[in-house]
Amino acid sequence: MMEHADALLPIDVPPPRPARRLAAVAIALMILGAALCALALRNQHDRSCFAVGWLWAFCFVVSISLGSLFFLALHYLTHSIWSVVVKRVADMLAASLWLTPVLFIPVALFVLFPNRFDLFPWLGDHGDHEIHVRREYLNAPFFLARGAACVLLWSAFAWHFVRRSVRQDRADAAKSLASLLRMRAVSAPFMLVFAVTLTAASVDWLMSLEPNWISTMFGVYIFAGFTVTGLATLALATVWLRATGRLPRSLVSDGRLYSFGGLMFAFVSFWGYIAFSQYMLTWYANLPEESFYMVERAGGRWLGVSVALALVRFAIPFLVLLPRRAKMSPRLLVATSLLLIGGQLLDLYWLIARPYHSAGPAIGWQEVGPLLFCVGLLGLFVAWFVSRYPMVAAGDPMMEMSRRFRET
Amino acid sequence: MDNVAVKPIGVVGLFDSPDALLGAARRFREAGARRWDCHTPYPVHGLDDAMGLKPTRLAWVTIPAAFLGLLAAVALTGGLSVIQYPIRIGGKPLFSWQAFVPIFFELFVLFACVSTMIAIIVFCRLGRWHSPLHDSDVMKHITCDRFAVAVQTGGEGEMSDADVRRILEQCGCSEIRPLVECEE
Repeated sequence: MMEHADALLPIDVPPPRPARRLAAVAIALMILGAALCALALRNQHDRSCFAVGWLWAFCFVVSISLGSLFFLALHYLTHSIWSVVVKRVADMLAASLWLTPVLFIPVALFVLFPNRFDLFPWLGDHGDHEIHVRREYLNAPFFLARGAACVLLWSAFAWHFVRRSVRQDRADAAKSLASLLRMRAVSAPFMLVFAVTLTAASVDWLMSLEPNWISTMFGVYIFAGFTVTGLATLALATVWLRATGRLPRSLVSDGRLYSFGGLMFAFVSFWGYIAFSQYMLTWYANLPEESFYMVERAGGRWLGVSVALALVRFAIPFLVLLPRRAKMSPRLLVATSLLLIGGQLLDLYWLIARPYHSAGPAIGWQEVGPLLFCVGLLGLFVAWFVSRYPMVAAGDPMMEMSRRFRET
Repeated sequence: MDNVAVKPIGVVGLFDSPDALLGAARRFREAGARRWDCHTPYPVHGLDDAMGLKPTRLAWVTIPAAFLGLLAAVALTGGLSVIQYPIRIGGKPLFSWQAFVPIFFELFVLFACVSTMIAIIVFCRLGRWHSPLHDSDVMKHITCDRFAVAVQTGGEGEMSDADVRRILEQCGCSEIRPLVECEE
């Protein structure tokens, strides 16, 4: 009856082993995606569609990795206990930020060769006064500098957290503790850097596609969505790692999934609140320079996409995750996570593709190519990470406390 | 206190640690105790499982009440701005749902919260002047530093006094008292 006070058995850490099937699927996706990208580069029309698709895929990968890095920093900042057992999953997805400097290169090329890709409208000379006055901020060199600063800062912070975390696996107790304290100290300034870089990145990569439009809530709108996507991918990866025996079931019980479900539910509600607030303020003020953005997305066949967005990113996951038991059920959590990840793709499409498909939502092979390539690359990275590092952060000084933690 | 009759209705055991309480709770669940409860100064993780408590029925009050609130909000905003005072403002439609969503949300939450609070009061039978816990003088312990199991005995299909005392003693209980109820 005193089992809670007893010492816990040592963790049986499953050694890292290759994920051959994931790697094979990922490589197949990459080859198919690369072939479609190469085909799309041949003529002007396909090239423009490819640029839209690449930005879409790039932002999607960033949403997963950056959402996970935010989760990791939140974990250190709040001295969380429950999440120590799944910390390495967040390490893994946050480490995939190392891919973003490479994936950003095509975006840089779109800006450097505006005549060939025609993605960002503020690059050309339209004689539009509104765009002209924004030139001091929206110009190619400054844009590239900001973009490079964002992806490099994120990669550096991911390097800081992940490298220390995997070194803890073999370090002695004193070193592990020192490392933990250092990561906690860095997590606070990271949050400030994160807020500024994410806002700058979302304005540059998404809002500037319609350079006449302004919304001061845009940064937090993107943040809410990215965090949901990060959490959904983490939950998905956790269930997968547990099912394949890389995370022991004794460590990550269904009860532990409850915390993922709870956080996801909170951020789904937050996204709904922010998305509606942005829409309502625009609708209420009814200023032509703001409202056109919502009007063009609420008319014709784009209305369907807008309504689907509200259902997929808010209404359905909110109702599904409401009961307590739903947050503990791996099956429901996986289904909701997939829905939310699909919602992120839809959201980014809603933001990016509207100016290029004014007749109605449409998607071609030129846009699917980059997505297949980028998702394949992310899959390959995950396969590499699980074959290289154990999925249990056994060296974390808080592991013992985390194992004793109970949700109910 | 002269004309107060004290009626024994069960046994209460006081524990000094939450772990001992969890052990006892498991034993009483297995022994098939019927009217019993655990009392702690703070939420003890794992106690619901140890007691084998079923999920709460509160949601069956909260959710219908919340949607009733939503309906009330739609009726309120729609009724006022479409039927009773149809005034067009800023060229917007009479039923401008965008402007009413905050009201929908507020009444949704208000109905959910108030109904949940009332349901808790009813379900927990709060609002009595005193309870057996006061009468047995254990309230001051369970709101401060000790953990208690209170088991009612002697009724139909219930455990006997001796059985309860035996389990409590086996579980490391630090003090056993009769659970009493005052009758005025």
